[in-house]
Order: sequence, then C-alpha cells, then structure tokens
Amino acid sequence: MMQALVTCRGLTKVFGKGELAVHALDGVDLDIHRGDFATLAGPSGSGKTTLLNMIGALDKPTSGEVTIEGTPLSTMSKAALSELRLEKIGFIFQAYNLIPVLSALENVEFVLQLQHVGAAERRERATAALHEVGLAGMESRRPSAMSGGQQQRIAVARALVSRPSIVLADEPTANLDSTTTAELMELMSRLNRDNGITFVIGTHDPRVMAHSQRHIEMIDGKIESDTND
Amino acid sequence: MNNFGILRTIAWRNLWRNPKRTLITLIVVTVGLWSILAFSMLLNAWAESSRQNALGLLIGQGQIHAAGYMDDPNIDHLMPPPDGALRDVLDSDGVAHWVARLQLPGVVQSEYKTLPITILGVDPAGEREISLVPDKIVEGRYLNGLDDDAVIIGANLAKRLKTTLGRRIILMSTGADGYLEEYSFDIVGIFDADQGFEDSYVFTGRSLLQEYMGLDDEIAQISFVLPDESGLPAMIDTLKAAAPDLDIRDWKQVSVMAAAMNSAMKSIIYIWLGIMIIMMSIGIINTQLMAVFERTQEFGLIRAIGLKPRMVLWLVTLESALLMAVGMVLGVILAVLTYFGFQGGLDLSGFSRAMEAIGSGQVLYPQFAPADFVIYPVLIWVIGVLVALWPAYRAQKISPVEAMRHAT
Ligand SMILES: Nc1ncnc2c1ncn2[C@@H]1O[C@H](COP(=O)(O)OP(=O)(O)OP(=O)(O)O)[C@@H](O)[C@H]1O
Ligand SMILES: [Mg+2]
Repeated sequence: MMQALVTCRGLTKVFGKGELAVHALDGVDLDIHRGDFATLAGPSGSGKTTLLNMIGALDKPTSGEVTIEGTPLSTMSKAALSELRLEKIGFIFQAYNLIPVLSALENVEFVLQLQHVGAAERRERATAALHEVGLAGMESRRPSAMSGGQQQRIAVARALVSRPSIVLADEPTANLDSTTTAELMELMSRLNRDNGITFVIGTHDPRVMAHSQRHIEMIDGKIESDTND
Repeated sequence: MNNFGILRTIAWRNLWRNPKRTLITLIVVTVGLWSILAFSMLLNAWAESSRQNALGLLIGQGQIHAAGYMDDPNIDHLMPPPDGALRDVLDSDGVAHWVARLQLPGVVQSEYKTLPITILGVDPAGEREISLVPDKIVEGRYLNGLDDDAVIIGANLAKRLKTTLGRRIILMSTGADGYLEEYSFDIVGIFDADQGFEDSYVFTGRSLLQEYMGLDDEIAQISFVLPDESGLPAMIDTLKAAAPDLDIRDWKQVSVMAAAMNSAMKSIIYIWLGIMIIMMSIGIINTQLMAVFERTQEFGLIRAIGLKPRMVLWLVTLESALLMAVGMVLGVILAVLTYFGFQGGLDLSGFSRAMEAIGSGQVLYPQFAPADFVIYPVLIWVIGVLVALWPAYRAQKISPVEAMRHAT
C-alpha cells in the first residue's frame, strides 16, 4: 500500500497539570492519504483544532508521533518546522487569515516571496490562484474592503499557491452564510477533484460534511469513527 | 534576500496603520532630536562667543613667554623683543597681528584702598589691532602711545578703589634691581568688561613701564592672532622651531578657564542628549509594545504560514528602525531650518548684564557643526533600534497556536 501523506501514531495532548489537566487528544492513530478530502467533526472541545495543530506542525504532542511524507516532526527545531509549514502545508483559519496591510494579490504572493520565487513567476502564479478562486479583478483590494466569503477565498488561494502537500482548514466557514459556505465548499471540492489537492477540514457544520468524501468523527480526544463515502 | 523586500513593505505600511500613535511617537522623536541639535547650536554659539570674548580681550589665539614666566610671572622671567627667525615668522603672512607686552604682578593703591593687580605695559597702536579693550572704554580715552604717562582701569576696580576718571592712583611692583618701585598715574580711561577682567588688569604705556621698572626693552609676553584660526597648530610648530627656547602656547594652554568653559558646554549637551535618548526610548518601546500586542493574531498567522521567528524579530525591528529614521530626518530638517532662521544672530542684548557675567557677547551666532547633524541622529537611531529589540523579541515569542486560539 502507498505510504500515507500524514501519519499520527498514539497522539496525546494534555493541557494543564494534576486536577486541572485536560486530555485534548487521548491516543489518536490516523493516516491521511494523498487526495483525501476529509472532514474532522465532533462536538466542541472534542479535540479537532488540537489535532489539526499537530498535523500542521503548529504544536507538539505530549506523546506520540506525527510524520509528514515520512519525516517525523518531533525532532525538528522551530525554524525547521517553520520551513516545513511554508513548503508543505497550506492553512485556512476561521478568521484573521490575511495580513491587513497587504492587498489580495500581495497576501497570496507573500508565501511565494518567503519561498524565494522570482517576481515574474510569483505574480503569474498569484494572479492565477486568485482567478481560480473567482477573485479576478480584485487583486489590488485590501482585505478590509472585501466580504467574509471573499476573504476566505483569498485564504484558499494563499493556501494553494505554494503547492502544499496538504491544506488544513479549521472551521473555514464558521463566519459565512449558507450561500457563501456552499460556494466555498464547492470551490474546495473542485480543487480536490480536479487538482488532487489533499484537504482536512475541521468543522461542526453538516453542510460542510456533506461535501466530504471521508468523515472522521472525534469525541473526547479520540477518533470515534472514520468512514469513506 | 528576497524576503526583506516584502517585510519592508509590510513594515512601512504598518507604521501608518495607527497614524495617530505613529505621529505622536514621531513628534517625540523629531522634537527630541531637534532640541538636541538646537541646544547644541545655541550652547556652541554661547561657548564660541565667550571664547572670542576671552581671547579678544587679552589672550589672542596664542602667546609666547620666556621659559618659566607662566609658572612664576615676574620680572625675573622676561625676554628680549623678538628678532631673527622669530621676528620673521611673526611678521610673515601667517600671522595677522602680534603685540609685545610687559606684564608684571603688582599692587594698586588709591586714597582708600590697596589691591593686588596685574600691571600691563602695552603698545596702544598694536593693541588697537588685536584687543577688544580699546573698544571697551566707557569713560575718557584709551592710551595714546608707548610712553603715555597714564593708566586705564576697569569700571569695577574704580568702584572698589573709590576713585574715578581724572584722579591719580599709585602702582607698585618689584623693579629690575629687586627693590619696590612706585609711581603715580592719572586715570585717563575706564573700560567695561566682565567683572573678573575689570578687577585684574590696569594698562599703561610699555616704554614708560619699562623705564620705571629699570628695564631696557625687555617684555613678558607676545600675543598673536592668525588670519585663519585653523592654521594654529601648524603655526605653533613653526614658532617653536623659530624660537626653541621660548614657551609658546595656544589659547587653550594659556587660559585654562576658556578651555574649561568649552568642555563644560559639551557636558551640558551630553546630559541633554542622555535625557532625550531616555525619553525617546520610552516612546518607541511603548509604541512598539502596543503595536505588537494589538497584532498578536497577525503575528500568529504569519508564523503559522511559515515565517521563521527570526524574521518576525526582523519585521518589528524594521518598523522601529523606519519610524526612528523618519523622525531623525524630520529632526535634522527642523534643526537646519532653525539654523537658517537664526543665522543672522540671536540678539540677547535684553539680558546683557547676565551675558556679560558669563563672559559672552550680546548677539549669539548659532554654530553649525555638520558632524553633530550626523553623529547625533545616527547615535539616537542606533539606540532607538536597540531598545526596540525588546518589543520585537516579544513578537517573536508569540506562539501561533495561542494567537489563533484567541482569534475567535
Ligand atoms: N492551550 C490550551 N490550554 C488549555 N486547554 C486547551 C488549550 N487548547 C485546547 N484546550 C482544551 O482542549 C480541549 C480540546 O480543544 P480543541 O480546541 O481542540 O477542541 P475543538 O474540537 O476544536 O472545539 P471547538 O469545536 O470548540 O473548536 C478543550 O477542552 C479545550 O478547552
Ligand atoms: Mg476548534
């Protein structure tokens, strides 16, 4: 069988100590495969965000190991983890996805600049990414002059433009109305279908889950169920 | 370094995100630098004015004495008038004016009082070229010639002696034969200078004084000025070569007071500089800490995206550096404008008594020291950037997980 893109083995994460300790993750084993379009569902406090943070190399587990494309994260320095996030992972958060002082195009170009992509190629790829998410013609707008749905589209473009191995989205539609949510999910599943981009999306929203091909359900820091359509 | 370009753009735009706060900091930094430069111009003007005054009264830019005279200024340490190589140098184009004086310690006596004094036998024609004293006569006249049988004294000395123009006083000093000589003179002129100077010196004709003291043509001192003061060190060397046995000094070595005044002014500027640097540092730290705190989520985001901690440090430092740089440029512009505004001189004749007390003239001319306009801004900029490393370090410490957790 093909090697998994991401593997989680025996992941635990404990916040706090003694009486107050919270077991946010309590022994998670999970493989994400190339081309997955997975939703991570579960009640509030079940550990969705915590697990996404582990996969995204943003936080370290209390015990257990995460590997991305075969590389274990536990031994890597902060700077090396930054590098790994830059090269391999795209992030879409619920809010505060964008740098307010940069225009839509500059926000998308930002990651390419960090990757030392040359100016001409950068401009071309960023423009294409904005086009792809349906924001052609809005390149020079600042985020504050755009709607919540448009801002999330910029975030999608930004997450994709660096050609990451995996895109992690934590409640990407939480601030959006149902029409905009549908449009954004449509966009992401099209990118998954047509371009083979791997998505893991943490969400409460049944409308989001409806789009996914793999449903992972968490309860109390454990994986309760993991089903494919 | 591709990265720095975009960070510069972000840093610059961030400055104008909270224009009010940026402007307040900018005003603190700009006015701080301006005040240092303006203060420095004013104090330098003041120092220069009092130096010119001190030098102009008697010292000149340099003096020549017989060896031993400076330590023990009396009739045993005199020298002949300049001749030979020394005379050639003094008469050359390298020296604008020079005068020879006989200067002896003595006592002045009126009907009421006896006071210690320095007696100067001068060449009135030469003194008119080199000294401010002839211009400072407020009553009567200056001396007429080398053998003018008269004295001029300072206004305050006249008051202390309870004497006036037209009265007689007695001058006493040890003559060449070792005996005390005493002669009486008419007071023909009263001069007005700072009080210390008024109390210290009386002037009479040089030939006459030499004769009274039983001397031939011996003198105690040569005072000279150059056409251009910048040639002073070289001229001192030339003179030393021409007269190796004589004691040749520039004004700093002659008048410790004038030199001390100069360095005291510098210390005042440094104290002010220190105060301003502390104020500006507090301003910049405060501004940048607030800016970092407000933007916690943003720093979390850019760290999540993949910016290394070091680059976050760099970004915030860059913002402080830009802010300080703008302040420095504005401060320098303001100071240069101030300089041109007061180039014609700052008239302080309203405070003339106070100005005289500190030995300064009544009109101050701002002294433009180009080095100050480079050194101070650069120094302040560097310190400002260094203190701003603290907020930058705080920004670098922000954890993306924590920042994003509080984002909702
Ligand atoms: N930094 C932290 N310090 C202390 N407790 C934490 C921290 N982060 C998460 N937790 C706790 O860990 C548990 C799991 O939190 P997590 O944010 O992963 O849940 P979630 O499934 O994402 O919930 P939600 O649907 O509300 O976003 C919760 O009980 C939460 O309070
Ligand atoms: Mg969550």
